[in-house]
Amino acid sequence: MKFSQKHLTALILVLLGLALIRCKTRQSSDEPKKIAIVVSTLNNPWFVFLAERASAKAKELGYESKVFDSQNNTSLETDHFENAISSGYDAILFNPTDADGSVVNVKNATAAGVPVFCMDREINSGVAATSQILSDSYSGCVTIAKFFVETLNKKGKYIELLGLVGDNNTWNRSKGFHSVVDHYPDLKMVAQQSADFDRNKAMEVLESILQANPDVDAVFCGNDAMAMGAYQALAAAGKADKVKVFGFDGAEDVVRSIQDGKIKATGMQFPEVMAQTAAVMADQYFKGKRDFPKKMPVAVEMVKMDNVENYAAYGKK
Amino acid sequence: MEKGIRYIASLLLVALVAYNSVYFKKLDQITTGKNLFNAAEYASRFWNEKLPRHTTKAIGIDVLLDLLQTDKDMAFKDYSHALGISNIKYFLIKGSGIVQAVGENQVSLETKSEGRSTQLFLATEYVFGNAVRDASGEIDINAFTNSMDFNNVSAEINKIIRERVIPPFSSKVKIGDRVDFIGAIELNQEHLNTQSIEVIPIELKIKD
Repeated sequence: MKFSQKHLTALILVLLGLALIRCKTRQSSDEPKKIAIVVSTLNNPWFVFLAERASAKAKELGYESKVFDSQNNTSLETDHFENAISSGYDAILFNPTDADGSVVNVKNATAAGVPVFCMDREINSGVAATSQILSDSYSGCVTIAKFFVETLNKKGKYIELLGLVGDNNTWNRSKGFHSVVDHYPDLKMVAQQSADFDRNKAMEVLESILQANPDVDAVFCGNDAMAMGAYQALAAAGKADKVKVFGFDGAEDVVRSIQDGKIKATGMQFPEVMAQTAAVMADQYFKGKRDFPKKMPVAVEMVKMDNVENYAAYGKK
Repeated sequence: MEKGIRYIASLLLVALVAYNSVYFKKLDQITTGKNLFNAAEYASRFWNEKLPRHTTKAIGIDVLLDLLQTDKDMAFKDYSHALGISNIKYFLIKGSGIVQAVGENQVSLETKSEGRSTQLFLATEYVFGNAVRDASGEIDINAFTNSMDFNNVSAEINKIIRERVIPPFSSKVKIGDRVDFIGAIELNQEHLNTQSIEVIPIELKIKD
């Protein structure tokens, strides 16, 4: 069989095209590998800290990294994943926006040969991600709830402020809390409403709830930003001394507020531990390791007045 | 007339077929049906079959406290278990002590060994958390596709303790009783505090 001039030209063009694509999507072996850090939102200092720590660890390990802000928007997150894959990123350290909605992004990256390491938030797939390094929110809230029941002496009225309804952490925290509190029928939840993990929204939501329920004894918040918003609303209503506020995260202002007696307790998460573990796992992946635990829980520790001296914002002193 | 009967019979037949072809179920019945994991059954099997293999190897509380003083790292390495990355570790312990106080939420117990006495608190009200599930090291989170199933195992184990272990004990215990116990405790490796150890009971025996 003989190649005609036309066929030969076409073949050369195809090969040239392939070579160009390869140049665009894969850096040479001399260049450092690139890690994309895709974070649900940079509008919350906790996630800024998580992204910064992941980026710092990636740099320390000798890799280039870039942080992508999904702005709590799954479509934007999809764009970031497509960009990361087409731009030749070698791994993605990922903080998902939606437990279900983010699964497809992880699957696409994995199918393209890019490992994904989830940080803090879980996706609803046991196999899509290379590994998921997750705060044990449920157990952390079980501990907080036990203290909540003790503090309220098993009776009273309370409000629960939930986080983003599409996030597993919202429900893990709420379920952990209720797995204890619901054993006590004299503890009555008068309102349960989402404030999207947002401080301002929490303040607005609580102001509104307090109008209908002025005699509450406690507020349980799914994160510290909401706890601070709740405290602001209570202070504005002149109830800050009477109503006990409980948070979750270990944010700087809440740790300070526990010292000042304004907030009763929070669940200390360890974003630096999660970020560093994810970066180290990516490094191990590049070096050939493949047998990662699908889930790596990171314990949450309760911070309250009698042990607050052991903790600083987002971790230990 | 005959045509009318045939028409009605056909309508009845169609209605009968349609009625038997469509079923309505509540959405929560469908979603519940999807998850075949039965946490209560799993917890019961763990309690009856797996946990006893580990409780026979529980470390004496006095031995553990001595070891924590002399070689904390070895004590945690050899006798504790935890999931993933954690300063909070769980131990299976056993011991014997004299009841000092019977409270609403716990029973205070004093154990004595070689001139040293230690106060422990047996939890009788707040039996929550993962101490018993995780202290044996037997259950691995990665064996569960769904984290909530894993969490529910703890809740079911604690339910067994609340229903089977505590009621026969609480109804009889009084100050001065000697109690033999096996249980699980939680200690923070980085901020160790052995002053107010709470024991989640697995076995409690009031000695005559």
